Amino acid sequence: MDGRGSTTPASRPVTRRSKSYGRSCLEAPSYFWQTTGHLTVLKVPTSRGAAKSQNITNKVEPEHIALLVKNEWKLSYVTPLHGFRHTQLKLYSKHLSAFIVAEKQQGVAVEVGLELGFKVTFTAVLGMAETEEDAETVFIQIQSKPVFAAAGDSPKVVWRGWLSCVNGDPEYLRSLPPDFVSLPLFCTSGPESLTSLVKSWFERAFDCNFGTLNLNSTTLNWLAALWTGCHPTCNIRYLKLAWSLPTQPPLDISYTVNPQDAWELWSSVHPEESADDGIDIKEVESFMAGLETHFFRHFKIYLSAGKLVKVSTAIGSAHLDGKIKIGNSDYITTLLTLLTECALLKMPT
Amino acid sequence: MALLTPYSKVPELNTATLLLVENEEQLQSKLANAIVQYEKEFNVNVRLSRKLPLPVENKGTRPRIDLIVFIVNLQSERSVQSVESSLNHLHSDCFLGKVCFLVTDARCGSHTHERLVSIRKLAAVHQCPVLCAEHKTADGVNAAAVRLLSILKVSAGMSPIATTALYLSTLTRCSVTSDDLDEE
Repeated sequence: MDGRGSTTPASRPVTRRSKSYGRSCLEAPSYFWQTTGHLTVLKVPTSRGAAKSQNITNKVEPEHIALLVKNEWKLSYVTPLHGFRHTQLKLYSKHLSAFIVAEKQQGVAVEVGLELGFKVTFTAVLGMAETEEDAETVFIQIQSKPVFAAAGDSPKVVWRGWLSCVNGDPEYLRSLPPDFVSLPLFCTSGPESLTSLVKSWFERAFDCNFGTLNLNSTTLNWLAALWTGCHPTCNIRYLKLAWSLPTQPPLDISYTVNPQDAWELWSSVHPEESADDGIDIKEVESFMAGLETHFFRHFKIYLSAGKLVKVSTAIGSAHLDGKIKIGNSDYITTLLTLLTECALLKMPT
Repeated sequence: MALLTPYSKVPELNTATLLLVENEEQLQSKLANAIVQYEKEFNVNVRLSRKLPLPVENKGTRPRIDLIVFIVNLQSERSVQSVESSLNHLHSDCFLGKVCFLVTDARCGSHTHERLVSIRKLAAVHQCPVLCAEHKTADGVNAAAVRLLSILKVSAGMSPIATTALYLSTLTRCSVTSDDLDEE
């Protein structure tokens, strides 16, 4: 439209205002907590490959693996980071430590005696990424000297966190503008004050948003089935499910299954010699239904009336509030794939 | 198997009967109170049940039921399962405008989205509307009561112009897009 002032740029899409009052019965359903991105639509997958044991020590340094396996991690999702370069990690470490020191000293008028030095290290954990589009995992450690330490004491690690993307949806990753790096899964372990400082630094430096990643019961069901399926190759030692029933007062049920029995139930649902390696959501659902009916037969309690809160095996554990623990590094790829998917779905696009 | 039939009894004058079926019995009584206390021109009987089939002993004294509402709490899988099993006890004539699904906690992100999708598919197959209600506040319960009353009015034949339950159900029935169907 030449000859006019810039009223309507041609690139802005024309949006139709739709009145939604009184038409809610006829509207197409929209996912309430998941908006469709402008470029791609992320679909919830109904089948996935079986958990494969992967010895990742040939790809990843053993000490890096040891860092990941030790603690219980709290999960969050991150929107894509703008201008994040894996080559500038040292610079980021300096900025972040300066930021933390400045924030901690805010409000203190006089320099309080002992200096609380924070040392931040950003490390790239190479080898965790599975596909070409995945960005490499970045591990962040914050160390500080304890307040009354002697001069020769080495600083202790007070906070750990890592950003990762494993087997992310390739269409989505390719559709991002070139300056953005997507590392949707953010796991933290340490005091909440440091976590919020790190998050606010990231938000300022890379224009991203954080949010808590709560797992839902489908994810926990998948984990229970996938981990049980690993039993022949790696002894899971137990399958423990924690349920919470909405009675007054709420009833917590801890349901521990012998791994061999769980494995037999799983192999009856998902035959071992199926040609394709995929597991369907229906098989997962019938596995869980089998466990629930067994419980009902003995205790006359419907587990489906409650919520599955925690799933744990020797390979790892996952809690509904978004806390995971990795027990065995061989299956870490499967777990992270699932979690990356959850993070990508939960993220507002 | 004794099926619940819609037209086997004679309707009463200026009265409509509503049956609320809910497995958890949480929203039922609050909704029933809100419906009964709302100002309207006709009498409403509200009957509560946990599931179908209804007890045989009351069969003689039970009035004709004009609208059956299945209340589903999306937080529990059991709720969905009990609704699916109750649907088997309805005569197929009931689905011509006399059945409605009421879903609570649909906005809560912590449960799986698949449950809502499966309820919508169920409703689409039976051609019934799905209402979403908010049961924790009094306003939400009142709003749900008003919506149910407007559907009840048509189902009981009290709507003045020739709006029948069948006509209303073709307008309000739940639709499922191809996105949901692709997930099969």
